[in-house]
Amino acid sequence: MSSHREAPEISKDPVADSTDVYAFVSPDAPDTVTLIANYVPLQLPSGGPNFYEFGDDVLYEIHIDNNGDGQADISYQFRFRTTVRNPGTFLYNTGPITSLDSPNWNRVQTYDVAVVSGGSSGTLGTGLPCPPCNIGPLSTPDYASLAAAAVNSLSGMTVFAGQRAEAFYVDLGAIFDLGDLRPFEHLHAPVGSLSARHGVNATNHLNVHSIAIQVPISSVTIGGHPTIGVWTSASRRRVTLWDADRGQNVLSGPWRQVSRLGNPLVNEVLIPMDKKDLWNSLPPSHDKQFAGYVTQPGLSALLNTLYPGVFPKLAELVDARKPRADLEAILLTGIPSGIIDGFTTFTGPVLADMLRLNTSIQPAATPSILGLLGNDPAGFPNGRRVRDDVVTIELRALAGLTYQLIDSHYKPDAAAGEISDFVPDPPAIGSPPTSTFPYLGIPYSGYNHPS
Amino acid sequence: MPSHDAMRAPDPVPTDRRPSRRSVLRGTAAAGAAGLAAAAAGAAASPALAAPGRPQAPDQRTGPSPATLPAGPIVVHVRDARSGDIEVFSGTSQTSLRDKDLAARIARAIG
Repeated sequence: MSSHREAPEISKDPVADSTDVYAFVSPDAPDTVTLIANYVPLQLPSGGPNFYEFGDDVLYEIHIDNNGDGQADISYQFRFRTTVRNPGTFLYNTGPITSLDSPNWNRVQTYDVAVVSGGSSGTLGTGLPCPPCNIGPLSTPDYASLAAAAVNSLSGMTVFAGQRAEAFYVDLGAIFDLGDLRPFEHLHAPVGSLSARHGVNATNHLNVHSIAIQVPISSVTIGGHPTIGVWTSASRRRVTLWDADRGQNVLSGPWRQVSRLGNPLVNEVLIPMDKKDLWNSLPPSHDKQFAGYVTQPGLSALLNTLYPGVFPKLAELVDARKPRADLEAILLTGIPSGIIDGFTTFTGPVLADMLRLNTSIQPAATPSILGLLGNDPAGFPNGRRVRDDVVTIELRALAGLTYQLIDSHYKPDAAAGEISDFVPDPPAIGSPPTSTFPYLGIPYSGYNHPS
Repeated sequence: MPSHDAMRAPDPVPTDRRPSRRSVLRGTAAAGAAGLAAAAAGAAASPALAAPGRPQAPDQRTGPSPATLPAGPIVVHVRDARSGDIEVFSGTSQTSLRDKDLAARIARAIG
């Protein structure tokens, strides 16, 4: 998945586990950008009675680098606080929740927002309400209204934090079964079945917890630098000590980062196991040490092994050990101007995994989920929209499709332009993304999912 | 641009009561003696924590003023008792010190 459970330590700490980051020029407010960071992966909607929530003991941040040094120039910080209104019941709610101040809602979460910029910190909002989880028709009979009431307009920004429907789609079960892609299963060496199969969207009908902000482009860019780098991080205090007498943790010490996410799938499928936790603890400005895993990706070599004879050109490229400058550009520096007519996401020579968004490129009237590979410069890897098929885009890039951008003599394998975990079309999403902020669909209710 | 780490901390300890390194170190001594002693029913009843033959520092005799103590808990992490490598946490602060004697006394306290 994009970054769900991508590293050994964070896989044991879902509350702090970032799953996806989206950054795009808002299609319905093109003078703004929308930045979304998802956490708490793979939520089974019926997972009560203690339904999902953000961690009160976690510092969530969305960072923006606007001068290309791989360090945060603007950080939006989110701290959550849980209140139990009726400690005498085990129930999440004791009746229908019809408003955010409903006395029937027993376990309420609010949050504070702050911004750090230019060496100073300022509070943007306090005590902002999250919506409840979507329980079911008896408990949350008009969930859309509850969620809408939790969209807050602050000075210069719109913000939402709470449960939403997972929009990322991927055939997890197959991909992590030795790199099987069901539509190409007949070509897979260890499987070798006679027929191709349809992909299975493993994340359908699951929820996540989203932090979404919409801010004016002018507030996050500096003159002459329309491209911003975006990532999210989650941090924990250095000390957590279980105080059994009080039934709570004692927290102490400075914050230390435990999760990070910029571009999808980088830590998940490019960084080796023994570096994943380290990668999660560092800012993008430290990514030079990981550059070799991007420019010599193990997954590209694996494709040749798993699908023998399907990627002969890629095999030559891998055997030649030519650094994949195309992947370095896409993931670590941005794509310089002059490679694709009228397009750039280049932020400078600093190698840093950030989701780069050129804010001067307007939203597409007819978006392609293949983004730049689909001739849509408003999509991934120019930022990332909710529907962008980042798995297919990155699979094709890893298979060599984008190498021709930096070597015009290279002719990619035909399969590199076709490889995907879903053929011919991406899967339908049960609760589809919305056309307005916060853009992710209404979360699935526990009553109806699983059905 | 420097890292935002230093800006990260909505500190539960009010700024005017945030401990300085010196006060944390004083607190450390208090935690080593007082904190653990509390768990062991008082310093006087905890010979393992006593430093026989050494005169007590004035702070230890009189104890620090309550106004100079951090409001929250102080956590002491003896990374290596042999080298005396100790980390002290209070609020969102962290201080490292090397004190073989203190580390040895803490180690003795846990048996």
